[in-house]
Amino acid sequence: MRSDSNSNILSRISCLLTLVACLSFSLFAGCAQEQPTGPVQITEVPSVDGSQFLLNEEPDGAADVIKAREQSKDGEEVILVGRIGGGENPWIEGRAAFTVVDGSLKACSDIPGDDCPIPWDYCCETDKLPPSTALVKVVDDSGSLIKTDAKKLLDVKELSTVVVKGKAQRDDDGNLTVLATGVFVKKK
Amino acid sequence: MALVFRFLPWEYAIRNLFRRPLRTCLTFLGLTTVIVLVFVVVGFIRGLERSLAVSGDRQTILIYSLGMGENLEYSSIPMKTNDLVPATVEGIQERFGQEYVSPELYLGTLIRLGASRTSSDQPSDLSPQTMGLVRGVTRSALLVRRQVEIEEGDWPESGEVMIGRMAATKVGATKEQAGIGKSISFEGRTWKISGIFSASGSAFESEAWCRLDDLQQAMKRQDLSIVALTLAPQGEFADVQLFCEERRNLELNVKREAEYYAGLQKDYGPVRWLAWLVVLLVSGAGIFAGLNTMYGSVVGRTLELSTLQTIGFARRAIVVSLIQEGILMAAGASLLAALIALLLINGLAVRFTMGAFTLRIDSMAVLIGCSVGLLLGLFGAIPPAIRALRMPIVDGLKSV
Repeated sequence: MRSDSNSNILSRISCLLTLVACLSFSLFAGCAQEQPTGPVQITEVPSVDGSQFLLNEEPDGAADVIKAREQSKDGEEVILVGRIGGGENPWIEGRAAFTVVDGSLKACSDIPGDDCPIPWDYCCETDKLPPSTALVKVVDDSGSLIKTDAKKLLDVKELSTVVVKGKAQRDDDGNLTVLATGVFVKKK
Repeated sequence: MALVFRFLPWEYAIRNLFRRPLRTCLTFLGLTTVIVLVFVVVGFIRGLERSLAVSGDRQTILIYSLGMGENLEYSSIPMKTNDLVPATVEGIQERFGQEYVSPELYLGTLIRLGASRTSSDQPSDLSPQTMGLVRGVTRSALLVRRQVEIEEGDWPESGEVMIGRMAATKVGATKEQAGIGKSISFEGRTWKISGIFSASGSAFESEAWCRLDDLQQAMKRQDLSIVALTLAPQGEFADVQLFCEERRNLELNVKREAEYYAGLQKDYGPVRWLAWLVVLLVSGAGIFAGLNTMYGSVVGRTLELSTLQTIGFARRAIVVSLIQEGILMAAGASLLAALIALLLINGLAVRFTMGAFTLRIDSMAVLIGCSVGLLLGLFGAIPPAIRALRMPIVDGLKSV
Protein backbone atom coordinates (compact mmCIF):
# COMPACT_ATOMS: atom_id res chain seq x y z
CA MET A 1 0.00 0.00 0.00
CA ARG A 2 2.81 2.37 0.93
CA SER A 3 4.61 1.73 -2.40
CA ASP A 4 1.34 2.45 -4.29
CA SER A 5 0.98 5.69 -2.39
CA ASN A 6 4.57 6.66 -3.15
CA SER A 7 4.17 5.93 -6.85
CA ASN A 8 0.99 8.02 -6.88
CA ILE A 9 2.78 10.90 -5.24
CA LEU A 10 5.68 10.55 -7.68
CA SER A 11 3.36 10.51 -10.71
CA ARG A 12 1.56 13.61 -9.43
CA ILE A 13 4.83 15.42 -8.79
CA SER A 14 6.09 14.56 -12.28
CA CYS A 15 2.84 15.82 -13.84
CA LEU A 16 3.06 19.02 -11.82
CA LEU A 17 6.66 19.56 -12.86
CA THR A 18 5.76 19.00 -16.53
CA LEU A 19 2.99 21.58 -16.24
CA VAL A 20 5.28 24.10 -14.56
CA ALA A 21 7.95 23.46 -17.21
CA CYS A 22 5.42 24.03 -20.03
CA LEU A 23 4.19 27.27 -18.46
CA SER A 24 7.75 28.48 -17.84
CA PHE A 25 8.67 27.69 -21.44
CA SER A 26 5.69 29.68 -22.73
CA LEU A 27 6.57 32.55 -20.43
CA PHE A 28 10.22 32.66 -21.48
CA ALA A 29 9.30 32.22 -25.15
CA GLY A 30 6.94 35.17 -24.74
CA CYS A 31 9.60 37.28 -23.11
CA ALA A 32 12.12 36.42 -25.82
CA GLN A 33 9.79 37.70 -28.51
CA GLU A 34 9.82 41.24 -27.22
CA GLN A 35 12.32 43.10 -29.34
CA PRO A 36 13.84 46.42 -28.50
CA THR A 37 12.43 49.21 -30.61
CA GLY A 38 15.84 50.72 -31.16
CA PRO A 39 18.99 51.77 -29.43
CA VAL A 40 18.37 53.93 -26.41
CA GLN A 41 20.39 57.10 -26.26
CA ILE A 42 22.16 57.54 -22.99
CA THR A 43 23.81 60.90 -22.81
CA GLU A 44 26.33 61.62 -20.13
CA VAL A 45 25.23 64.82 -18.45
CA PRO A 46 28.04 66.66 -16.74
CA SER A 47 26.86 68.55 -13.68
CA VAL A 48 26.93 72.28 -14.31
CA ASP A 49 26.45 74.89 -11.61
CA GLY A 50 23.34 76.81 -12.67
CA SER A 51 23.96 79.64 -10.20
CA GLN A 52 26.56 81.16 -12.54
CA PHE A 53 23.76 81.90 -15.01
CA LEU A 54 21.14 83.04 -12.51
CA LEU A 55 20.91 86.79 -11.92
CA ASN A 56 20.16 88.03 -8.41
CA GLU A 57 18.52 91.21 -9.61
CA GLU A 58 16.13 91.81 -12.45
CA PRO A 59 17.90 93.67 -15.26
CA ASP A 60 16.36 96.99 -16.23
CA GLY A 61 14.97 97.80 -19.63
CA ALA A 62 13.66 94.34 -20.53
CA ALA A 63 11.70 94.23 -23.78
CA ASP A 64 8.76 91.96 -24.48
CA VAL A 65 9.26 89.24 -27.08
CA ILE A 66 7.22 90.95 -29.81
CA LYS A 67 9.11 94.22 -29.34
CA ALA A 68 12.47 92.44 -29.26
CA ARG A 69 11.64 90.60 -32.48
CA GLU A 70 10.81 93.91 -34.14
CA GLN A 71 13.75 95.94 -32.89
CA SER A 72 16.75 93.76 -32.12
CA LYS A 73 19.48 93.22 -34.66
CA ASP A 74 21.74 90.23 -35.16
CA GLY A 75 24.63 90.24 -32.66
CA GLU A 76 23.10 93.00 -30.53
CA GLU A 77 22.83 92.77 -26.73
CA VAL A 78 19.22 92.26 -25.67
CA ILE A 79 17.26 91.96 -22.44
CA LEU A 80 14.09 89.98 -23.01
CA VAL A 81 11.16 89.12 -20.78
CA GLY A 82 8.71 86.32 -21.49
CA ARG A 83 6.96 83.24 -20.14
CA ILE A 84 8.27 79.77 -20.78
CA GLY A 85 5.92 78.03 -23.19
CA GLY A 86 4.73 78.16 -26.76
CA GLY A 87 4.30 74.45 -27.38
CA GLU A 88 3.41 71.17 -25.76
CA ASN A 89 7.10 70.77 -24.91
CA PRO A 90 8.89 74.13 -24.69
CA TRP A 91 12.13 72.47 -23.54
CA ILE A 92 15.02 71.17 -25.58
CA GLU A 93 15.90 67.69 -24.34
CA GLY A 94 19.19 67.67 -22.39
CA ARG A 95 20.00 71.27 -23.29
CA ALA A 96 19.67 74.55 -21.43
CA ALA A 97 17.28 75.94 -24.01
CA PHE A 98 13.58 76.76 -24.07
CA THR A 99 11.05 78.91 -25.83
CA VAL A 100 9.49 82.02 -24.32
CA VAL A 101 6.24 83.71 -25.27
CA ASP A 102 5.31 87.39 -25.13
CA GLY A 103 3.51 88.40 -21.94
CA SER A 104 0.56 89.85 -23.88
CA LEU A 105 -0.55 86.38 -24.95
CA LYS A 106 -2.85 84.50 -22.61
CA ALA A 107 -2.02 80.99 -21.54
CA CYS A 108 -5.06 78.75 -21.08
CA SER A 109 -4.61 78.95 -17.30
CA ASP A 110 -5.07 82.74 -17.50
CA ILE A 111 -8.58 82.24 -18.85
CA PRO A 112 -11.09 81.68 -16.00
CA GLY A 113 -12.82 78.33 -16.30
CA ASP A 114 -10.36 76.89 -18.79
CA ASP A 115 -8.99 73.62 -17.42
CA CYS A 116 -6.62 72.82 -20.29
CA PRO A 117 -4.11 70.21 -19.04
CA ILE A 118 -1.23 71.85 -20.96
CA PRO A 119 -1.84 75.60 -20.54
CA TRP A 120 1.72 76.49 -21.61
CA ASP A 121 1.05 75.45 -25.21
CA TYR A 122 -1.07 78.61 -25.65
CA CYS A 123 -3.54 76.59 -27.74
CA CYS A 124 -6.07 79.44 -27.49
CA GLU A 125 -3.62 81.81 -29.21
CA THR A 126 -1.98 79.46 -31.74
CA ASP A 127 -2.22 81.90 -34.65
CA LYS A 128 -0.39 84.62 -32.68
CA LEU A 129 2.43 82.36 -31.49
CA PRO A 130 5.02 82.51 -34.33
CA PRO A 131 5.62 86.30 -34.13
CA SER A 132 5.40 86.23 -30.31
CA THR A 133 7.92 83.50 -29.53
CA ALA A 134 11.68 83.45 -29.14
CA LEU A 135 14.17 80.71 -28.36
CA VAL A 136 16.49 81.13 -25.39
CA LYS A 137 19.78 79.24 -25.34
CA VAL A 138 21.88 79.46 -22.19
CA VAL A 139 25.50 79.57 -23.30
CA ASP A 140 28.89 79.52 -21.58
CA ASP A 141 31.73 82.00 -22.02
CA SER A 142 32.74 80.43 -25.33
CA GLY A 143 29.19 80.74 -26.68
CA SER A 144 28.48 77.01 -26.53
CA LEU A 145 25.04 75.81 -25.51
CA ILE A 146 25.05 74.23 -22.02
CA LYS A 147 24.29 70.51 -22.27
CA THR A 148 22.11 70.32 -19.19
CA ASP A 149 18.36 70.37 -18.95
CA ALA A 150 17.17 73.94 -18.37
CA LYS A 151 14.66 72.88 -15.74
CA LYS A 152 17.45 71.42 -13.60
CA LEU A 153 20.00 74.11 -14.36
CA LEU A 154 17.80 77.12 -13.62
CA ASP A 155 15.05 75.58 -11.47
CA VAL A 156 12.33 76.87 -13.77
CA LYS A 157 9.13 75.32 -15.02
CA GLU A 158 6.50 75.90 -17.67
CA LEU A 159 4.90 79.39 -17.54
CA SER A 160 7.72 80.74 -15.31
CA THR A 161 8.40 84.36 -16.21
CA VAL A 162 12.07 84.91 -17.01
CA VAL A 163 14.17 87.93 -17.90
CA VAL A 164 17.13 86.89 -20.04
CA LYS A 165 20.19 88.87 -20.90
CA GLY A 166 22.30 87.94 -23.90
CA LYS A 167 23.08 88.34 -27.55
CA ALA A 168 20.39 88.33 -30.25
CA GLN A 169 20.71 85.93 -33.14
CA ARG A 170 18.45 86.78 -36.06
CA ASP A 171 17.73 85.10 -39.38
CA ASP A 172 16.20 86.32 -42.63
CA ASP A 173 12.77 85.03 -41.65
CA GLY A 174 12.65 87.23 -38.54
CA ASN A 175 13.19 84.46 -36.01
CA LEU A 176 14.85 85.48 -32.76
CA THR A 177 17.19 83.36 -30.66
CA VAL A 178 18.79 84.81 -27.54
CA LEU A 179 22.18 83.42 -26.56
CA ALA A 180 21.67 84.08 -22.87
CA THR A 181 24.48 84.54 -20.39
CA GLY A 182 22.22 85.53 -17.52
CA VAL A 183 18.68 84.59 -16.50
CA PHE A 184 16.51 86.16 -13.83
CA VAL A 185 13.54 84.08 -12.72
CA LYS A 186 10.63 86.22 -11.60
CA LYS A 187 8.79 85.03 -8.49
CA LYS A 188 5.02 85.07 -8.77
CA MET B 1 1.46 3.74 13.86
CA ALA B 2 1.75 6.87 11.82
CA LEU B 3 -1.13 7.39 9.42
CA VAL B 4 -0.12 7.66 5.79
CA PHE B 5 -2.09 10.15 3.73
CA ARG B 6 -3.23 8.33 0.58
CA PHE B 7 -4.31 9.99 -2.63
CA LEU B 8 -6.91 8.40 -4.84
CA PRO B 9 -5.19 6.76 -7.82
CA TRP B 10 -4.34 9.16 -10.67
CA GLU B 11 -6.36 7.02 -13.10
CA TYR B 12 -9.44 7.25 -10.88
CA ALA B 13 -10.17 10.83 -11.90
CA ILE B 14 -9.50 10.03 -15.56
CA ARG B 15 -11.89 7.07 -15.47
CA ASN B 16 -14.53 9.24 -13.83
CA LEU B 17 -14.43 11.65 -16.75
CA PHE B 18 -15.34 8.81 -19.10
CA ARG B 19 -18.14 7.46 -16.87
CA ARG B 20 -20.44 10.26 -18.05
CA PRO B 21 -19.22 10.81 -21.60
CA LEU B 22 -22.05 13.09 -22.77
CA ARG B 23 -21.74 15.47 -19.82
CA THR B 24 -17.96 15.47 -20.09
CA CYS B 25 -18.10 16.13 -23.86
CA LEU B 26 -20.55 19.01 -23.47
CA THR B 27 -18.48 20.60 -20.71
CA PHE B 28 -15.32 20.03 -22.71
CA LEU B 29 -16.88 21.77 -25.74
CA GLY B 30 -18.19 24.59 -23.53
CA LEU B 31 -14.77 25.15 -21.99
CA THR B 32 -13.08 24.96 -25.41
CA THR B 33 -15.47 27.58 -26.80
CA VAL B 34 -14.83 29.87 -23.84
CA ILE B 35 -11.05 29.51 -24.14
CA VAL B 36 -11.20 30.07 -27.93
CA LEU B 37 -13.10 33.31 -27.23
CA VAL B 38 -10.42 34.27 -24.72
CA PHE B 39 -7.80 33.57 -27.41
CA VAL B 40 -9.67 35.80 -29.90
CA VAL B 41 -9.75 38.72 -27.48
CA VAL B 42 -6.14 38.24 -26.33
CA GLY B 43 -5.08 37.86 -29.99
CA PHE B 44 -6.84 41.15 -30.75
CA ILE B 45 -5.04 42.95 -27.92
CA ARG B 46 -1.66 41.44 -28.82
CA GLY B 47 -2.16 42.25 -32.52
CA LEU B 48 -3.10 45.87 -31.81
CA GLU B 49 -0.19 46.33 -29.40
CA ARG B 50 2.24 44.68 -31.79
CA SER B 51 1.07 46.81 -34.73
CA LEU B 52 1.66 50.04 -32.82
CA ALA B 53 4.83 48.87 -31.06
CA VAL B 54 6.69 47.90 -34.23
CA SER B 55 5.56 51.03 -36.08
CA GLY B 56 7.79 53.30 -34.05
CA ASP B 57 11.57 53.33 -34.39
CA ARG B 58 13.34 55.23 -31.60
CA GLN B 59 16.00 56.52 -34.02
CA THR B 60 13.33 57.85 -36.40
CA ILE B 61 12.17 61.41 -35.83
CA LEU B 62 9.01 62.97 -37.25
CA ILE B 63 8.83 66.66 -38.10
CA TYR B 64 5.27 67.88 -38.59
CA SER B 65 3.26 71.03 -38.16
CA LEU B 66 2.70 72.68 -34.80
CA GLY B 67 -0.53 71.96 -32.98
CA MET B 68 -1.41 68.82 -34.91
CA GLY B 69 -1.17 66.54 -31.88
CA GLU B 70 -1.43 63.01 -33.23
CA ASN B 71 -3.33 63.86 -36.43
CA LEU B 72 -0.45 63.69 -38.88
CA GLU B 73 -2.85 63.45 -41.83
CA TYR B 74 -3.85 67.09 -41.20
CA SER B 75 -0.27 68.31 -40.89
CA SER B 76 1.06 70.73 -43.48
CA ILE B 77 4.67 71.92 -43.52
CA PRO B 78 6.59 73.83 -46.21
CA MET B 79 8.31 71.75 -48.90
CA LYS B 80 11.60 73.52 -48.18
CA THR B 81 11.74 71.79 -44.78
CA ASN B 82 12.99 68.74 -46.67
CA ASP B 83 16.06 70.66 -47.85
CA LEU B 84 16.61 72.65 -44.67
CA VAL B 85 16.71 69.63 -42.36
CA PRO B 86 19.68 67.76 -43.88
CA ALA B 87 21.48 71.05 -44.53
CA THR B 88 21.17 72.17 -40.91
CA VAL B 89 20.78 69.23 -38.56
CA GLU B 90 23.86 67.26 -37.65
CA GLY B 91 23.85 63.57 -36.79
CA ILE B 92 21.47 62.32 -39.49
CA GLN B 93 22.21 58.78 -40.65
CA GLU B 94 23.94 58.77 -44.02
CA ARG B 95 25.05 56.14 -46.52
CA PHE B 96 26.95 56.78 -49.75
CA GLY B 97 26.12 60.48 -49.47
CA GLN B 98 22.38 59.80 -49.19
CA GLU B 99 20.89 61.18 -45.98
CA TYR B 100 18.08 59.25 -44.31
CA VAL B 101 15.47 61.98 -44.73
CA SER B 102 12.04 61.15 -46.12
CA PRO B 103 9.61 63.88 -47.22
CA GLU B 104 6.07 62.52 -47.08
CA LEU B 105 2.55 63.63 -47.90
CA TYR B 106 0.17 61.58 -45.79
CA LEU B 107 -3.61 61.65 -45.84
CA GLY B 108 -6.78 59.74 -45.25
CA THR B 109 -8.93 59.74 -48.35
CA LEU B 110 -11.68 57.80 -50.11
CA ILE B 111 -10.21 54.78 -51.88
CA ARG B 112 -11.70 52.24 -54.26
CA LEU B 113 -9.80 49.13 -55.25
CA GLY B 114 -10.72 46.99 -58.17
CA ALA B 115 -10.82 46.11 -61.83
CA SER B 116 -7.87 45.97 -64.16
CA ARG B 117 -7.17 49.23 -65.95
CA THR B 118 -7.36 47.53 -69.32
CA SER B 119 -10.71 45.84 -68.74
CA SER B 120 -14.04 47.59 -68.63
CA ASP B 121 -14.83 48.16 -64.98
CA GLN B 122 -17.70 46.02 -63.78
CA PRO B 123 -19.26 47.10 -60.49
CA SER B 124 -18.72 43.58 -59.11
CA ASP B 125 -14.99 43.95 -59.69
CA LEU B 126 -14.79 47.04 -57.54
CA SER B 127 -14.50 47.31 -53.80
CA PRO B 128 -16.74 49.74 -51.91
CA GLN B 129 -15.35 53.26 -51.68
CA THR B 130 -14.07 53.70 -48.13
CA MET B 131 -11.55 55.73 -46.19
CA GLY B 132 -8.01 54.57 -46.68
CA LEU B 133 -4.54 55.87 -45.96
CA VAL B 134 -2.27 57.18 -48.72
CA ARG B 135 1.36 58.22 -48.39
CA GLY B 136 3.27 60.09 -51.10
CA VAL B 137 6.92 59.16 -50.75
CA THR B 138 10.29 59.27 -52.44
CA ARG B 139 12.77 56.39 -52.60
CA SER B 140 14.42 57.66 -49.43
CA ALA B 141 11.34 56.41 -47.56
CA LEU B 142 12.87 52.94 -47.77
CA LEU B 143 15.95 54.19 -45.91
CA VAL B 144 13.94 55.65 -43.06
CA ARG B 145 11.17 53.02 -42.91
CA ARG B 146 13.56 50.14 -42.51
CA GLN B 147 10.87 47.56 -41.82
CA VAL B 148 9.29 48.02 -45.27
CA GLU B 149 10.02 45.24 -47.76
CA ILE B 150 8.60 44.90 -51.26
CA GLU B 151 7.04 41.42 -51.28
CA GLU B 152 5.75 41.39 -54.87
CA GLY B 153 6.07 43.66 -57.88
CA ASP B 154 8.06 46.86 -58.09
CA TRP B 155 8.51 50.32 -56.60
CA PRO B 156 5.82 52.61 -58.07
CA GLU B 157 6.58 54.65 -61.17
CA SER B 158 4.50 57.63 -62.26
CA GLY B 159 0.78 56.79 -62.07
CA GLU B 160 1.45 53.70 -59.97
CA VAL B 161 0.86 52.75 -56.36
CA MET B 162 2.44 50.20 -54.04
CA ILE B 163 0.04 48.89 -51.39
CA GLY B 164 0.66 47.34 -48.00
CA ARG B 165 -0.40 43.76 -47.49
CA MET B 166 -3.20 44.88 -45.11
CA ALA B 167 -4.46 47.72 -47.34
CA ALA B 168 -7.15 45.55 -48.95
CA THR B 169 -8.52 44.63 -45.51
CA LYS B 170 -8.48 48.28 -44.48
CA VAL B 171 -10.73 49.30 -47.39
CA GLY B 172 -12.83 46.13 -47.35
CA ALA B 173 -11.54 44.80 -50.67
CA THR B 174 -10.78 41.21 -51.65
CA LYS B 175 -7.26 39.97 -52.36
CA GLU B 176 -8.14 39.71 -56.06
CA GLN B 177 -9.23 43.36 -56.16
CA ALA B 178 -5.89 44.35 -54.66
CA GLY B 179 -3.63 42.36 -56.95
CA ILE B 180 -0.72 43.69 -58.98
CA GLY B 181 -1.92 45.29 -62.22
CA LYS B 182 -5.33 46.11 -60.74
CA SER B 183 -6.54 49.66 -60.31
CA ILE B 184 -6.90 51.84 -57.27
CA SER B 185 -8.78 55.13 -57.34
CA PHE B 186 -8.32 58.10 -55.03
CA GLU B 187 -8.14 61.87 -55.28
CA GLY B 188 -9.92 61.79 -58.63
CA ARG B 189 -7.32 59.60 -60.33
CA THR B 190 -6.99 55.95 -61.19
CA TRP B 191 -3.63 54.42 -60.37
CA LYS B 192 -2.15 51.05 -61.21
CA ILE B 193 -0.96 48.75 -58.41
CA SER B 194 2.72 48.08 -59.06
CA GLY B 195 3.68 46.17 -55.93
CA ILE B 196 2.76 44.87 -52.51
CA PHE B 197 4.86 45.51 -49.44
CA SER B 198 5.07 44.26 -45.90
CA ALA B 199 6.33 46.19 -42.87
CA SER B 200 6.81 43.68 -40.03
CA GLY B 201 3.15 44.00 -39.03
CA SER B 202 3.36 47.76 -38.49
CA ALA B 203 0.66 50.34 -39.30
CA PHE B 204 2.32 51.08 -42.68
CA GLU B 205 0.92 47.79 -44.00
CA SER B 206 -2.56 49.38 -44.19
CA GLU B 207 -1.37 52.17 -46.46
CA ALA B 208 -1.02 52.80 -50.19
CA TRP B 209 2.28 54.41 -51.22
CA CYS B 210 2.72 56.41 -54.39
CA ARG B 211 5.29 58.88 -55.65
CA LEU B 212 5.32 62.15 -53.73
CA ASP B 213 5.29 64.35 -56.86
CA ASP B 214 2.38 62.38 -58.31
CA LEU B 215 0.31 62.81 -55.18
CA GLN B 216 1.16 66.51 -54.93
CA GLN B 217 -0.03 66.97 -58.53
CA ALA B 218 -3.21 64.98 -57.95
CA MET B 219 -4.02 67.00 -54.84
CA LYS B 220 -2.74 70.31 -56.22
CA ARG B 221 -0.59 70.67 -53.12
CA GLN B 222 3.01 71.76 -52.83
CA ASP B 223 3.48 71.15 -49.15
CA LEU B 224 4.39 68.09 -47.10
CA SER B 225 2.69 66.40 -44.18
CA ILE B 226 5.84 65.26 -42.44
CA VAL B 227 9.56 64.91 -42.83
CA ALA B 228 10.78 61.66 -41.28
CA LEU B 229 14.48 61.21 -40.61
CA THR B 230 16.73 58.63 -39.02
CA LEU B 231 19.39 59.72 -36.58
CA ALA B 232 22.83 58.16 -36.65
CA PRO B 233 23.84 56.38 -33.41
CA GLN B 234 25.74 59.51 -32.33
CA GLY B 235 22.93 61.83 -33.47
CA GLU B 236 20.90 63.65 -30.85
CA PHE B 237 17.19 64.40 -30.76
CA ALA B 238 17.95 67.81 -29.23
CA ASP B 239 19.58 68.95 -32.49
CA VAL B 240 16.34 68.35 -34.40
CA GLN B 241 14.38 70.08 -31.65
CA LEU B 242 16.70 73.10 -31.87
CA PHE B 243 16.25 73.20 -35.65
CA CYS B 244 12.47 73.41 -35.25
CA GLU B 245 12.52 75.96 -32.43
CA GLU B 246 15.01 78.22 -34.17
CA ARG B 247 12.68 78.43 -37.17
CA ARG B 248 9.41 79.33 -35.49
CA ASN B 249 8.17 80.84 -38.75
CA LEU B 250 7.94 77.31 -40.22
CA GLU B 251 5.68 76.27 -37.32
CA LEU B 252 7.26 72.87 -36.90
CA ASN B 253 6.88 70.31 -34.19
CA VAL B 254 9.08 67.29 -33.60
CA LYS B 255 8.56 63.92 -31.98
CA ARG B 256 10.27 60.55 -31.88
CA GLU B 257 8.29 58.11 -33.99
CA ALA B 258 8.24 55.64 -31.08
CA GLU B 259 6.67 58.33 -28.86
CA TYR B 260 4.08 59.11 -31.52
CA TYR B 261 2.92 55.49 -31.67
CA ALA B 262 3.17 55.17 -27.87
CA GLY B 263 0.73 58.11 -27.75
CA LEU B 264 -1.62 56.26 -30.11
CA GLN B 265 -1.32 53.18 -27.92
CA LYS B 266 -2.33 55.30 -24.94
CA ASP B 267 -5.36 56.53 -26.89
CA TYR B 268 -6.39 52.92 -27.49
CA GLY B 269 -6.08 52.18 -23.74
CA PRO B 270 -9.87 52.14 -23.17
CA VAL B 271 -10.25 49.64 -26.06
CA ARG B 272 -7.69 47.38 -24.40
CA TRP B 273 -9.44 47.63 -21.03
CA LEU B 274 -12.72 46.80 -22.70
CA ALA B 275 -11.10 43.76 -24.30
CA TRP B 276 -9.76 42.58 -20.92
CA LEU B 277 -13.25 43.05 -19.49
CA VAL B 278 -14.57 40.77 -22.24
CA VAL B 279 -11.91 38.20 -21.25
CA LEU B 280 -13.12 38.44 -17.64
CA LEU B 281 -16.81 38.06 -18.57
CA VAL B 282 -16.18 35.18 -20.95
CA SER B 283 -14.01 33.47 -18.32
CA GLY B 284 -16.83 33.93 -15.79
CA ALA B 285 -19.17 32.07 -18.13
CA GLY B 286 -16.57 29.31 -18.43
CA ILE B 287 -16.30 28.97 -14.66
CA PHE B 288 -20.06 28.51 -14.43
CA ALA B 289 -19.90 25.77 -17.07
CA GLY B 290 -17.19 23.99 -15.06
CA LEU B 291 -19.11 24.48 -11.80
CA ASN B 292 -22.22 22.98 -13.30
CA THR B 293 -20.44 19.83 -14.39
CA MET B 294 -18.48 19.34 -11.22
CA TYR B 295 -21.55 19.92 -9.02
CA GLY B 296 -23.38 17.32 -11.12
CA SER B 297 -20.43 15.02 -10.67
CA VAL B 298 -20.43 15.42 -6.88
CA VAL B 299 -24.22 15.17 -6.42
CA GLY B 300 -24.45 12.05 -8.58
CA ARG B 301 -21.64 10.35 -6.68
CA THR B 302 -22.61 10.98 -3.06
CA LEU B 303 -22.70 7.27 -2.23
CA GLU B 304 -19.41 6.60 -4.00
CA LEU B 305 -17.61 9.48 -2.29
CA SER B 306 -18.92 8.42 1.13
CA THR B 307 -17.81 4.84 0.47
CA LEU B 308 -14.34 6.07 -0.44
CA GLN B 309 -14.17 7.82 2.93
CA THR B 310 -15.44 4.70 4.71
CA ILE B 311 -12.68 2.53 3.24
CA GLY B 312 -10.06 4.97 4.46
CA PHE B 313 -9.48 7.72 1.91
CA ALA B 314 -9.19 11.12 3.53
CA ARG B 315 -11.58 13.88 2.51
CA ARG B 316 -8.77 15.98 1.16
CA ALA B 317 -7.75 13.06 -1.10
CA ILE B 318 -11.26 13.13 -2.57
CA VAL B 319 -11.10 16.91 -2.93
CA VAL B 320 -7.76 16.64 -4.74
CA SER B 321 -9.22 14.02 -7.06
CA LEU B 322 -12.20 16.25 -7.91
CA ILE B 323 -9.93 19.23 -8.59
CA GLN B 324 -7.77 16.93 -10.70
CA GLU B 325 -10.82 16.05 -12.81
CA GLY B 326 -11.64 19.72 -13.36
CA ILE B 327 -8.06 20.66 -14.25
CA LEU B 328 -7.65 17.64 -16.56
CA MET B 329 -10.72 18.60 -18.54
CA ALA B 330 -9.71 22.26 -18.64
CA ALA B 331 -6.16 21.37 -19.72
CA GLY B 332 -7.52 19.25 -22.60
CA ALA B 333 -9.89 22.07 -23.58
CA SER B 334 -7.01 24.57 -23.39
CA LEU B 335 -4.88 22.46 -25.71
CA LEU B 336 -7.69 22.06 -28.25
CA ALA B 337 -8.51 25.79 -28.04
CA ALA B 338 -4.84 26.69 -28.50
CA LEU B 339 -4.68 24.47 -31.57
CA ILE B 340 -7.83 26.06 -33.03
CA ALA B 341 -6.48 29.53 -32.23
CA LEU B 342 -3.10 28.85 -33.84
CA LEU B 343 -4.55 27.25 -36.98
CA LEU B 344 -7.69 29.30 -37.57
CA ILE B 345 -7.42 32.60 -35.69
CA ASN B 346 -3.73 33.51 -35.83
CA GLY B 347 -3.12 35.97 -38.68
CA LEU B 348 -6.77 36.86 -39.30
CA ALA B 349 -6.98 40.44 -40.57
CA VAL B 350 -9.03 42.96 -38.60
CA ARG B 351 -10.09 46.42 -39.75
CA PHE B 352 -9.56 49.17 -37.26
CA THR B 353 -9.78 52.97 -37.26
CA MET B 354 -6.05 53.50 -37.72
CA GLY B 355 -5.76 50.85 -40.41
CA ALA B 356 -5.80 47.10 -40.15
CA PHE B 357 -3.83 44.51 -38.24
CA THR B 358 -3.74 40.77 -37.75
CA LEU B 359 -4.90 38.82 -34.72
CA ARG B 360 -1.75 37.58 -33.07
CA ILE B 361 -1.65 34.30 -31.21
CA ASP B 362 1.93 34.49 -29.99
CA SER B 363 3.47 32.60 -27.11
CA MET B 364 2.24 35.21 -24.63
CA ALA B 365 -1.31 34.79 -25.95
CA VAL B 366 -0.95 30.99 -25.64
CA LEU B 367 0.31 31.41 -22.08
CA ILE B 368 -2.58 33.71 -21.14
CA GLY B 369 -5.21 31.55 -22.89
CA CYS B 370 -3.98 28.28 -21.36
CA SER B 371 -3.58 29.86 -17.91
CA VAL B 372 -7.16 31.15 -18.07
CA GLY B 373 -8.24 27.62 -19.15
CA LEU B 374 -6.46 25.95 -16.22
CA LEU B 375 -7.84 28.52 -13.78
CA LEU B 376 -11.34 27.79 -15.11
CA GLY B 377 -10.79 24.13 -14.27
CA LEU B 378 -9.42 24.94 -10.82
CA PHE B 379 -12.05 27.50 -9.77
CA GLY B 380 -14.84 25.46 -11.34
CA ALA B 381 -13.88 22.45 -9.21
CA ILE B 382 -13.21 24.10 -5.84
CA PRO B 383 -16.85 24.80 -4.71
CA PRO B 384 -18.09 21.26 -5.53
CA ALA B 385 -14.97 19.89 -3.84
CA ILE B 386 -15.78 21.91 -0.69
CA ARG B 387 -19.29 20.48 -0.82
CA ALA B 388 -17.82 17.00 -0.92
CA LEU B 389 -15.63 17.86 2.06
CA ARG B 390 -18.61 18.94 4.17
CA MET B 391 -20.77 15.92 3.32
CA PRO B 392 -21.48 13.72 6.42
CA ILE B 393 -20.42 10.12 5.69
CA VAL B 394 -23.52 8.52 7.23
CA ASP B 395 -25.91 10.69 5.19
CA GLY B 396 -23.88 9.93 2.09
CA LEU B 397 -24.03 6.18 2.66
CA LYS B 398 -27.81 6.33 3.17
CA SER B 399 -28.38 8.11 -0.15
CA VAL B 400 -29.39 5.96 -3.13
